[in-house]
Amino acid sequence: MRFLLALAVALLTSPVAAQTGPVQALLQTHAEDIAKPSRRTIQPVLDDLAASDLPAMPDFLEAWADKGVVRHDADGLFFYGTREGDIYALRSVEDGTDVGEVARRDASELKPNAGVRKLIATALVQFQLNDPDPDRRRAALDSLSRNPTPDLLAPLRASIEAEEDRLIRNRKEALDRLITIRFGTDQTARLTAIDWMADRISLEARAALNAVLTTDRIVGTPPEGANIARTLQVGTDITAEVALDLLADEGIVPDAVSRADRDAALVANIAGAAVAGTPVAQLDTEEARWTAYAALSGTGLAPPRPPVDAAAILLAMNPITEVYDEADPAITEAAVAALAQVDARVARAQAADMTLDAVSLASIYFLAAIGLAITFGVMGVINMAHGEFIMIGAYTGYVVQQIVPDYTWSLVIALPLAFVVAGAAGVALERLVIRHLAHRPLETLLATFGISVALQQIFKNIFGTQAVPLTSPDWLAGAWSLNDVVGISYIRIAIFVLAAVFLALLVYILRRTRLGLEVRAVTQNPGMAASLGIDPDRVGMATFALGSGIAGVAGVAIGLFAQVTSEMGAGYIVQSFMTVVVGGVGSVFGTLAGAGLIGGLQKGIEWLNPSNTLAAQTYMILFIILFIQVRPRGIVAQKGRFVQ
Amino acid sequence: MTYRKALLSLPLLLASTAAHAQADCPVKVGVLHSLSGTMAISETTLKDTVEMLVDRQNEAGGLLGCDIEAVVVDPASDWPLFAEKARELLTVEEVDVIFGSWTSVSRKSALPVLEELNGLMFYPVQYEGEESSKNVFYTGAAPNQQAIPAVDYFLEELGVERFALLGTDYVYPRTTNNILEAYLKSKGVAAEDIFVNYTPFGHSDWATIVGDVVEMSEDGRPVGVISTINGDANIGFYKELAASEISADDIPVVAFSVGEEELSGLDTTDLVGHLAAWNYFQSAETDANAEFIAAWKERMGEDRVTNDPMEAHYIGFNMWVNAVEAAGTTDVDAVRDAMYGQEFPNLTGGTAVMLPNHHLSKPVLIGEITEDGQFDIVSQTAEVEGDAWTDHLVDSAKLTSDWPGLGCGMYDTEAETCVQIQSNY
Amino acid sequence: MTDAASSSGQKYLGGAGAGPRPLIARADVLVFLCALAFVTIVATLMAQAGWVSTSFVKLLGKTLCLCIAALAMDLVWGFTGILSLGHFAFFGIGGYAIGMWLMWSRTEGIVLETLSRAPLPATPLEIEEAIGSQIFGVVGSSDVPALWTFAGSLPLQLAFAVLVPGAIALIFGWLAFRSRVVGVYLSILTQAGTLALSLWLFQNDNGLRGNNGLSGLQNIPGLSGTPQSTLSLWFLWGSAVALALAYLLAAWTVSGRFGSVLRGIRDDEARVRFLGYEVERYKLAVFTGTAMACGVAGALYYPQAGIVNPAEIAPIASIYLAVWVAIGGRGRLYGAVIGAAVVSLASSWFTGGGAPDIDLGFYEIKWTDWWLVLLGLSFVAVTLFAPKGLGGLVDLWTARRAMRRQGDLGPDQGALRAEEESR
Repeated sequence: MRFLLALAVALLTSPVAAQTGPVQALLQTHAEDIAKPSRRTIQPVLDDLAASDLPAMPDFLEAWADKGVVRHDADGLFFYGTREGDIYALRSVEDGTDVGEVARRDASELKPNAGVRKLIATALVQFQLNDPDPDRRRAALDSLSRNPTPDLLAPLRASIEAEEDRLIRNRKEALDRLITIRFGTDQTARLTAIDWMADRISLEARAALNAVLTTDRIVGTPPEGANIARTLQVGTDITAEVALDLLADEGIVPDAVSRADRDAALVANIAGAAVAGTPVAQLDTEEARWTAYAALSGTGLAPPRPPVDAAAILLAMNPITEVYDEADPAITEAAVAALAQVDARVARAQAADMTLDAVSLASIYFLAAIGLAITFGVMGVINMAHGEFIMIGAYTGYVVQQIVPDYTWSLVIALPLAFVVAGAAGVALERLVIRHLAHRPLETLLATFGISVALQQIFKNIFGTQAVPLTSPDWLAGAWSLNDVVGISYIRIAIFVLAAVFLALLVYILRRTRLGLEVRAVTQNPGMAASLGIDPDRVGMATFALGSGIAGVAGVAIGLFAQVTSEMGAGYIVQSFMTVVVGGVGSVFGTLAGAGLIGGLQKGIEWLNPSNTLAAQTYMILFIILFIQVRPRGIVAQKGRFVQ
Repeated sequence: MTYRKALLSLPLLLASTAAHAQADCPVKVGVLHSLSGTMAISETTLKDTVEMLVDRQNEAGGLLGCDIEAVVVDPASDWPLFAEKARELLTVEEVDVIFGSWTSVSRKSALPVLEELNGLMFYPVQYEGEESSKNVFYTGAAPNQQAIPAVDYFLEELGVERFALLGTDYVYPRTTNNILEAYLKSKGVAAEDIFVNYTPFGHSDWATIVGDVVEMSEDGRPVGVISTINGDANIGFYKELAASEISADDIPVVAFSVGEEELSGLDTTDLVGHLAAWNYFQSAETDANAEFIAAWKERMGEDRVTNDPMEAHYIGFNMWVNAVEAAGTTDVDAVRDAMYGQEFPNLTGGTAVMLPNHHLSKPVLIGEITEDGQFDIVSQTAEVEGDAWTDHLVDSAKLTSDWPGLGCGMYDTEAETCVQIQSNY
Repeated sequence: MTDAASSSGQKYLGGAGAGPRPLIARADVLVFLCALAFVTIVATLMAQAGWVSTSFVKLLGKTLCLCIAALAMDLVWGFTGILSLGHFAFFGIGGYAIGMWLMWSRTEGIVLETLSRAPLPATPLEIEEAIGSQIFGVVGSSDVPALWTFAGSLPLQLAFAVLVPGAIALIFGWLAFRSRVVGVYLSILTQAGTLALSLWLFQNDNGLRGNNGLSGLQNIPGLSGTPQSTLSLWFLWGSAVALALAYLLAAWTVSGRFGSVLRGIRDDEARVRFLGYEVERYKLAVFTGTAMACGVAGALYYPQAGIVNPAEIAPIASIYLAVWVAIGGRGRLYGAVIGAAVVSLASSWFTGGGAPDIDLGFYEIKWTDWWLVLLGLSFVAVTLFAPKGLGGLVDLWTARRAMRRQGDLGPDQGALRAEEESR
């Protein structure tokens, strides 16, 4: 260590002096701002650096934003630095040549925050717009779209002509229009751009249009030629209190008197044992206090209260208007019209997006509940440990990922393995517990609950209480998006496909195979089925294996988009029961309908009350309780052993 | 379930007859952290921290010539049990001080017992404020030591103009978000630019909420998310955020409940650049921190991380030791008097000072998540004094807490009266 | 459905005292009351002598309250065959009702004291606002929700502790029994209702302080001078008296013709209906009555626990209630009491670190971690191998002296009966 330090010092003393070139010199003039940058103060520095026209400057800016620059504590010089253990390997900011090493403790890495990095990226845009590397050009356009500035309009337009990549060229043209709308000087160009936006739905388009429509509130007669958006009316646009507050800010009416102000005034004017003639002891109601205050202000001992009743009249005399920051009425009118078109389209798209979310949620509920539905239908028992089979599947996925690090392969292995493991657990449960409790559904419910408690705790003891990671492969990362409104993550699409596959598989098994025939027979009349030579035990075991196996697969799927914990199954079990009961016991399509209803309902309530997801779940359960009053046998009622 | 665990261990209680009539040795330190149940994962770490601190102090010669003994009980993440175990610690074990609690509700549960029996507790976790008990020292962050500076960072450094306040539906997010809403409005942010959403514990279906947040950027101004989402639910949230291809450059998220420990259950590659605000990060580069991390890893294993509440216990424990030595006794009243003005160096640099309102002055750090599950510190303030009663809500702006000066934890500065000596639970 | 014989079923509701012997003279009742009195008196004496701590007295008092809830569960499940997975919610509601009064009037005392020092006499609005910001300031609000309108009145809140569970049970039961929701369907429905209630309570918006719940309940307003050591004894006695009354009431209920009808419903609902009894009314009466009993038990329990919050009401709590009754032995009242007492005390012994850890050499079994596994599996074992539960042990003793069949098996949809016949 000491040797390294000595080496570093030796290395540094000589080359540093030689390294002071134009870049370093310029940086040193802003040394403190660069070392501890703040978004509010860095812009002039960046302007200065960018204006220097030094060819090495873009490289420095890029490295700075990537946290690749260090500052040597002793002399305050800047270097490109790569950390290697306890040392930094330094390179010159002039030409990138190696200049030696320094101990980690003797230099500090520059850590510009995200706000500063955004400004650096904007400063880099003009250098990158014509960069031969298309990735850099895209990066430049991204930062331009995040932080559009009028200065960059000219360089952007200049770069469109030479652009060869068609997609990048389209993007450049779109950005050109967006920036033109906000910062353009030519009215016709702006109007054309606004018209063009009316057909769009993207966030960028809406952002550009909304940016044109920002307003200020002006109290009193607006200045001549102001581009007025609207004049506020009491009752419809603002409340009387707010209007009076605005007027009070301008000194037109007296400030509102709060209860605390009132009480302070009363206390200050206690004379003897009375205030303005009212004995203090009688001031024990709000009315008495206000009356006493009115008496005080009548004698000038306290400021008067604003006349709430007269708010409308006062507002008529002193109109409050919202005035567009944009002075040109033609532009704002066009923008309002365009935005109205866009908003209508956005509303439709949002409905579509909500439907996608509901379908996704429904397919998750379907996967979680279908296993329960078929075992319930065939055996007539509620398996409270069903949620734990979901958990077993998810943990199987986790264990596989620990052994097979490739996410794709681990998923390919985990799905069937989860089916097998959870299915085996289901068979074990059926053979060891449920079979011995035949015809005792309530005791089965409680016994399987005991299993559920034990399984949860065993997994907690093995894997710990902390959630374990189950990571999806890269090809499932990201989202499919139709536009900026309608989109859904690939994982959810995959879960939807999985649900569809299992739906088809189950329908096939039930309709086209011997097992399916037997299952349907046992569901409808176990006694008759048995007397016709069907072994109900065997059928029960097979359905339990199938149902539990599907729960295991569902576990892997759920773990890919949410947390894997020993309690994850408990979170789905009640929802699964609901799905089964609402849909109708023992019917695949009933479960599908139940999942659809519950998923749609939950999203619908969430949409009505977006700020409280918890309320959505509460109301959904209440709705289901009422629904069962109307259709006690579920949506798809089935004739069978439970019809009484 | 709660009531099952809420019951005490019989033999221990029946043995309470063997009253502690002997001398003050050993000095007893109660540890009231859940070792089982949902909070075990967070709180077990703190139990280990206190045990490590006790061992280190014993190696350094103990306290008042005595060895320190840690008395560990398990309140099992069950809130009523915190009251019972606190009573057991104070009356049966007769401990001199308690280090404990994580959730606010567990602290509120233990509080009446602490005040009834005049116990002393150190509470190490960031919380919503609006409380100052004579019998509790709050070594975690008050809202003005975590939430407010983080919002300032959003406003000033990131230029965020629209805010999504996402939280789990319980008291800490609720109160913090109320304070932040009032604060944002005082900074000129309009009500329609603030979106508030509450989700249940362990929520997993985040698609719609993330979609709502993305929609907020439609009016062209930068959007930021302030997350008080608790525990496991963060995993689904960050996964959905990553899946919708929202980078920290588009919509930054600052979290108040996500630290090194929580990130260890996540693949952080998609979260790089998102933020967290704490008073401590493991990545802080000071000698004291390096030494603390080394001692922790040596005791618990190489892969263990350190976090903010651990530092809070580190400061709290050392301050208590110094206060006991200054007072020359472990008597609660004497130690409390000696606590005021106690100074101890932070692990992140600077000095923590115990204030008359039982809170600490500590620096606020903001870190960006890195790929290895650590934080890159991008902002560090000077020490901020913890404020028991926030200045940003009307009802509590007029309140102050000053135990040595006014003898009151909830003093109304307008009416100039002490609202109450005991806490509101 | 309404059958013509409805009135004939109705008149047996009052058929009290039709049991074979006067209630108080029955051996199980006598033994139970004596045992309860013994435990209470001994605990009191030991507490006075300083041999047991206040915590232990509180633990005992709380266990007695849980026994009341278990008795109610036994009536509704063991005797009537309705597996309700929601009775602990009624227990929690009772706690909330009394907790609202405890919090309100304690805060009111503090607020009035503070405001009396102000220069102006307090207005009603000021008092309400001050109480509101004290109670709800913690959860970031200061308005007093409508739910708290009567929180200042002890008689009303006590009435709510009984009437709110009763009303909820009445409405829910009426809806469910009317549409013939039975068996596992009913269990799931009660569980869903419980989940909805706990989710609703978790919301801060509804004015019951969300996840924090109501706390500081051990401080009884007006009794701030009384030490907890004394209060805990008062509550112990209160709980013991309530349990004794509940036991007598339950024994009286199941001993008469009413009890016979209940057992009939349990064993074969359809047959009882065909005999002309209005099954739904009997079920509704039991469901509602037991819900009210749970409310009373909760109102006694939570002032001893000190805090009531939504986690108490979560569905799993109600399932545990069923587990206690099953382990104790359903269809017999002392079974429920034994189950509740044994399981809750055992669980506190195991999780409290009382049980010695077992070192297997390669793995150390820590009971704090493994107790739940043991509980879950032993519960499965009891269901499979000993459906009569711990109470079945009593039979080993009594069966030798007298063969008396009281229908105490508590079978499930007649299945056990069928099993007996096949033997």
